[in-house]
This record gives sequence, structure tokens and C-alpha cells, in this order.
Amino acid sequence: MTTSLLAYLLIPLFTAILIPFAAKTRRKLADVLANVTLLAGLLNISFILFNPANIALSFSNITEDGFALLMIFIIYLVALCVTFFSSYFIGDDSKVNRVPYYSLIMTSVSAMCGIVTTGDFFTLYIFVEVLAVTSFALIASDESGKGLEGAIKYFLLTFPASLFILFGIAFLMLTAGTFSFESIKIIIASGIPAGAVVFSLSLILLGFLIKSGVAPFHAWTPDAYEGAYAPVSAYLAGIVTKISGVYAVIKISIMLRLFEIKAYHTAEILMFLGMLSIAIGALAALRQKELKRMLAFSSISQIGYIILAAGMGTPLAILGAIFHLVNHATFKTVLFLNSASLEKGAGTSDMRKLGGMEHAMPWTSWTSIVALLATAGVPPLSGFWSKLIIIIALWDGGAKTYAVLALLFSVVTLAYFMVMQKKIFFGNPTEASRNAREVRPAMLAPVVVMCLLIAALGVFFPYIYSYLVETIAARIIL
Amino acid sequence: MDLVTILKTAVAVPVIGSLLIPVANKISVQVRNAYAVALGLVTFAAAASLLPHMMNGATATYALSFPLGFDFVLNADLLSVFMAAISSFVSAIILIYSLDYISHYENQTEYYTMVVLFLGSMMGLVFSANLLWMYIFWELTAFASWRLVGFFRSDRDVAKANKTILVTVFGALCMLIGILMVYFDHGTMDLRLLRGETITTAAAMLILVGILAKSATLPFSTWLPDAGVAPSTVTALLHAAVLVKIGVYAYARIFGVTFMVSPAFSHGVLIIAGLSALVAAGAALIDKDIKRIIAYSTVSQLGFIFLGLASGNKTAFVGGLLYILMHSIAKGGLFLCAGIVEQNTHNKDITKMGGLIKTMPITAVAFALCSLSVMGIPPFGGFFSKFLVFKGAAQHGSILVLIIFLAGAMMTLLYLVRLFYLVFLGEDKASNPREGSATMVGSVLALALIGLALGAFIYYPSLYVDMLTTQLGVGLETIQ
Repeated sequence: MTTSLLAYLLIPLFTAILIPFAAKTRRKLADVLANVTLLAGLLNISFILFNPANIALSFSNITEDGFALLMIFIIYLVALCVTFFSSYFIGDDSKVNRVPYYSLIMTSVSAMCGIVTTGDFFTLYIFVEVLAVTSFALIASDESGKGLEGAIKYFLLTFPASLFILFGIAFLMLTAGTFSFESIKIIIASGIPAGAVVFSLSLILLGFLIKSGVAPFHAWTPDAYEGAYAPVSAYLAGIVTKISGVYAVIKISIMLRLFEIKAYHTAEILMFLGMLSIAIGALAALRQKELKRMLAFSSISQIGYIILAAGMGTPLAILGAIFHLVNHATFKTVLFLNSASLEKGAGTSDMRKLGGMEHAMPWTSWTSIVALLATAGVPPLSGFWSKLIIIIALWDGGAKTYAVLALLFSVVTLAYFMVMQKKIFFGNPTEASRNAREVRPAMLAPVVVMCLLIAALGVFFPYIYSYLVETIAARIIL
Repeated sequence: MDLVTILKTAVAVPVIGSLLIPVANKISVQVRNAYAVALGLVTFAAAASLLPHMMNGATATYALSFPLGFDFVLNADLLSVFMAAISSFVSAIILIYSLDYISHYENQTEYYTMVVLFLGSMMGLVFSANLLWMYIFWELTAFASWRLVGFFRSDRDVAKANKTILVTVFGALCMLIGILMVYFDHGTMDLRLLRGETITTAAAMLILVGILAKSATLPFSTWLPDAGVAPSTVTALLHAAVLVKIGVYAYARIFGVTFMVSPAFSHGVLIIAGLSALVAAGAALIDKDIKRIIAYSTVSQLGFIFLGLASGNKTAFVGGLLYILMHSIAKGGLFLCAGIVEQNTHNKDITKMGGLIKTMPITAVAFALCSLSVMGIPPFGGFFSKFLVFKGAAQHGSILVLIIFLAGAMMTLLYLVRLFYLVFLGEDKASNPREGSATMVGSVLALALIGLALGAFIYYPSLYVDMLTTQLGVGLETIQ
């Protein structure tokens, strides 16, 4: 555990406990507390990340692990966007009880920070479970019934993942005698009981793959995202799934590349699953009629890129995976928040019932365009660079077929987003669209900020790249 | 101003300036329109002012270091300035023409933003000396053309716009794979360092797919006639002046002045270009939609440009480059004339038109002059370019290719005469048409007269292009 970053974990937890007491009589106070805590955390981490003195030292004065800093930044950013959006989205909606809602979000922020700062598998497992429980409750926060269905599906389908992880961890203790990442790396490097360690790591990996919603374990994601309360699906897709699943997969793949002989094909299987996800997610997204389901499949496809790169395992590939993880968090948050705005503004996010929304909701339309272009990897937005790094890394590592396929599936990504944009924002107004109007500026603010970030990450790519190389690659990968 | 500043101006003014057009719209519509036209004119002025410097043998380079060899390099040389001047000129004319043409439609702010952004990405593309940045600007043009083709928002229009972007992006991704192959073979994507190197056939083919998709050559030509649903200014911009020329420019840049390619590859390109020229000319002969006919004509004429650029000798290459110039001017004029006709008759079907020469005399004259240039009748500019292309191709020595192209040239004559006859001559069928507004008619007349002037003063452009070919051409035979 990186103790210097403990505050990021403890303060949201404290707020989570405080909210039920403080907001007992004045419920609006829950909004304020959650937003203020997250904003303070975000400012704090930004101050560390963008401080030239820290950059000059590659953050060695703060933490030994630059990866965690970046992840904490993105966790706070997405969480703040979602809570800020929610505080206006919920409005006078009596179906959602603010107090548990914000408490749960704060708890899950705390759990995610725990995941990214921990240094051993057992703590990781505990935080992942905390995160799973809070997400389960958050999905069900819309008490109209659909949320409950999504929650149960989420619970049932990710439950086996926890079993695999727990079993793997137990086996790891038996064979390696330790949970600590560093000790495991040393054991792997010494090369003694390689087979058993690989087996236990693979079990843990399998668990986390299910949690990340990679094909063929993706069945739960569309249902959960569709059923969840609208801002919650942005929260889940934007950050929770990434941290509870993909982050750990990247961590493990960093270990796997220490094995001499490509970890008994585990890495190859990882790459195959990544490619499968890209293909299945993209092709299934083409056929969706409901916006949130489509975005869920798009998530599966994009996570495929991250997993594919993680499986490749070269330093450049891991960099690409981390960069894409960050980028995906930004543009998926925009798209899911926009789907929530559509629900608010037009009453539905069903693509069949929408059309010609660009006049009623121009901001939502243009921010969607920015996010979808970034997802499809159109330059000069952020998604282009992360995909390019992944493709170059794949090619360089000898996986040329995967590189070509991954690149060409960008066209499919573009295709389903073009269909989406056409059905929802262009074309002739339908019944639902005629009465629609743009959501209030405060709800647009998080989306616009994210879009600016997408553009900035793309335009200032050299700085991002040098951060990734000097802080992350130099420290944790090599 | 020193050359590097002018170079930066030519790229930065339209790219960054375009993003401020929505802001200008907040002030007033007039300010926005004036601002957009000013951006176009400044860009043209910057590009044109580089021409004499290039003639004197100067070059200008601006470089920004990026990791992994992704350096952002802008380089002005004879070829890039040539292309930049042509496309910014036609774009500026189109912007002026748009003032009236577009004034009664929705989404005008988006339109002006995208036209200028498009111009800016074109400038970035021609001046980029790094393959990756060429690709980046290439995709930006695809984005802008997606919004422009989808200017009208019916389902059909938007579907065609989606088709346009998907076809070109697919091509671009193939090209990106090719670029990455070059990157891994040579360790760099900087065109200045790659000059004179050989390129593997696989990489060349993949890059070619991207080029063919963008320049709407067979088998990727289907998006171009479909994109005719857009307003005529957009089709002029996309089909005549800028977008399709990106493909031929990239061909000239990558295979003409940078890499050595195998003769078999060039020959393959010639065959594809020949078939494209022939098939598209055939389609132009039978279609009834005025804009689709001109669009097919573009597909066909692009085949001739490829014939010039790929024949592998100096004469043909000079002809090909001149062809780019002449075709941009003449075809831009044709599309804008079609715009006047379409707007004033509310019709695109040529069988329902006729006798328009009486009511639209200036448009008819401009149309005729532009057609003559496209056909290649002396003394129009189009004659010299076509002549040089054929002369060079004859020296290259493939009789089959030559016959295909001769047939294509004959058909050009036929379909343009047919088009002119059905629209402007014959009996009057349309209901009370009238001449277009002064700005619109002035724009087309300017293009038509410039086409004529370029023919009369062919000495200057050909001197420039000759110098370009001598200095930059790679692996060209010089047969006199």
C-alpha cells in the first residue's frame, strides 16, 4: 500500500459516512458534500500531477508508482463529472434517494483508490469486492424495477469472477507464499515454481477478465448498463469496470511478461480474447436499437483494445493500454452522460424513437460527435494516439495480423457511431424529439469539460507520452 | 515576412480560424460570412506568395519534435506550394460563391466552419513532410467532408454522408497500415529522409488503396456520385477542387517524388486508372442528373491524372501536374454552374431542362468554356495538359493503356456536348428560370476565364511544373 496516497482513499470514505448524518434533514447537502470532496481531491491530485517540480523528478518524491497517480486523477475526474451531473439530473425525482446514492458513490471512489494504490493481491481482492457491492447497490438505485433487474444480473454474472479470484489468491499463497506484487515478481524472476504461479495468476486473471466484461464473458455488461440508473451507467462504464477489471488485468500482464516462455500461452490467450472482444463488441453494436446497449457493446470493443495490448506485454503495448484506458474513461463518460441527457431532455434513449435532435440539443449533439470520433480513433483526438501506439506495439512485437485487424475494426466502430448519430441527432424530428429541449448548462458542463480533455490529450500528446514513458514505463514495467 | 511565417500562416489561419467561426456567428451573420471569406483569401494569399520564392529555389521548413518519430514537419517545396495555391484559390472562389448560394439554408455556421476547416486540413496535408501527419490531416478532411456532404439532414442525405466517410476512412486505415510498414522498414516517416528509397509492394498497394478511395477511382468510386446530394458548392469543393485532388497529390508526393516504385506497380495503377476513366465516362453518358454526370466526369478525369503521374517519364508527369491545375479550375466552374442551374430551375434532371441559354446566358457561356477546357480543346489550358499526358504515355509505350484513354477522351467530348445540349440548347422546358446572382455568376465566369487565360499563358505554369519535375521527380525517364 502506498501510504502517501492514503488520503485519497480515506477522505471519500469519511464523506460517505458523514453524508447520512449531515444530510438527514437537508437532503441537498448530500450533493454538496459529495461534489466538494471530489473537487478537493481532484484539485489536489492535479496539483501533484501538473507541478513542474514533481514532473522534473518523475514523481519519485511522491510515490514509487506513477500509474496510481494517473488512475487516481481519472477516478476523481470521472466521479466528479458523474456526481455533478447527477446533482442536477436527479432534480426533484423522488424515485432516487440522494443520501444512499452519494454515500455509495463516495464508498466506491474510496474502493477504487484502494485498488490502484494497493501492493498485494489480497487487499486488491477486498477492495474489488467492496466496489462490486457498491456498484450492485448503485445499479439498483433507481427504484422503478428495471434497475433491480440489472443489479441482479450484474451480481449473478460477476459473482463467479470473485470465486475465481479468491481461489487463485489462495492457490498463490500455497505456491508462492506471498500476496505482494513485488515479491511475486521476484519469485517469477528467480524462475522456480513457474507452472503453479502461472496457474494461480491465470485464475486471478480469469476473474478479472469476467469483471472487465471481455468477450466471451461480456453477457452482463449490456444488461447492467441498460438497466442501471442513467448517471450510474456512465459511472460504471466510465470508470468502475475499468478499475475493477481492466486495471488488474494490466497489472497481471506486467507480471506475465517476466516469464521466459510467454507465460505458457496465457499472454496469447489474452491477446486472442482482446481481439475477440473488439470484433464481437463492434459487430454487436452495429445491431443495437437502444443507445445504452450500443454504448455497452462499444465498451466491450474498446476494452478489447486494452486487453489486446496488455496481452502483447511489451513496454510500449502496456503504455498504449494505459493511455487507452484513460482515454476510454473520458469518451465513454461523455457518451453515457449524453445518453442520460437524452433521457432527461427527450424522455428516452431508444434510437428508434429519436431523430433530428441536433436542433433541440446542439451541445449534446456536438459533444457526442467529439466523443465518437475519439472512440473511433480519428486524429488528432486522444483515441487516435492511444490506438496508434497499441497498433505500433502489436506490429513491433510480431503480432501483425492482430495489428491489421484491430486497425480495420476502427471502421466498424465509426460505422455504428455514424448510425447512432444519424438516428438520434440528424434526420427528421419524431414525436419524442419535437418536445425535447437541451438540458441545463450545469449538466452540460461535465460533458464539455471531458470533450476539452479529449481534445487536449490528443493535441498535447507529446507531453502525455513523456509522462507515460518517464513515470510509468521507467518505473513499473521494466 | 520570412517564408516559415508565411508557411505557418497558410496552415494555422484556416485550421484555427475555422474554430472561431461559430464565435463570429454570435456577433452577426455578416461578420461570420466576411470572416470566413477573409480566412479563405488570406490562405490563398499566403500560399500564392510562396510561389515566386519556390521558383527561386527557396524552401521553408517548420518542425516540431514529437515522440516515436511522429514529428510534425511542415515543408514548403515546389510541389506542395503548387497544390496549396490551386486548392486555396478554388476554395476561396467557392467561399465567395457560397455567400449567395447558401444564404437561404439551415446550418450555415456549420457549413462555413467545415469549409474553412477543410481548406485548413488540405493545407496541412500538402505541407506535411511526415507521412503520419499527412494521414492525420487526411482524416480531418474526411471528417469535414462528412459534415459537408450531410449538409441537408434528410435520412437519405445523412446515409450518403456516412457512406462517404466510411469508404474514405476505410481507405485511410489501409493507408495507415502501409505507412506503418514504411515506418518499420525504414525507421522513419519523414518524407525528406525517405526520398529515393524503395518501398515494398505490399506497403505501396496499401497506400494506393487509401489514395484510390480518396480520389474516388475504381473500385472505390461509388461514394462520389452519391455525395452529389450535397449542395453544389460542397460538390465543387469535394469533387473538383480539393478532396479528390488529395488522392492525386498523395500519389505525386509519395510515388512521384519520394519513393522508387517498381514498373509493374505503375503499370497496375495505369490499368486501374484506365478502367476507371472508361467506366466513369460511360456512366456520365447515360446518367440524367446534372451533378452526377459532372461527378462521374471527375472520376473519369482523375484517371487521366493518374495516367500522367504513373507513366514514369518527365513529359507525362508534367502533364499530370498541369492536369491537376486545369481540372480543378474547369471542374470547379462546372459544378458551380450546375449549382446556379439547379437552384434556379429547382431541378437536377437534365431531360427536364432545355433552352436555358436564353435565360442564363452568362452561366451558359461559362459552362461552355469550362467544358471545352475539360474536353481538352485548344487553346484552353486543358488542351496542353491532356496533350502532354498523352505524349508522355505514348513514350511509355503501352498501346492498350493508350487506347483505353483515347476512348475515354472521346467519351469526355460526347458526354459534355450532350450535357450542354440538353441543358442549355433545345426547346425551353423549365418554368421561368432566371440568371443567378451577381456573385455567383461572377465566380463561375472568373473560373472560366482563368481556364482560358491559363491556356493562353501556358508558358508560366508549365515552366513552374517543369522545374518542379526536374528538381523533385524521382526515377523519371527523360525522353525528348
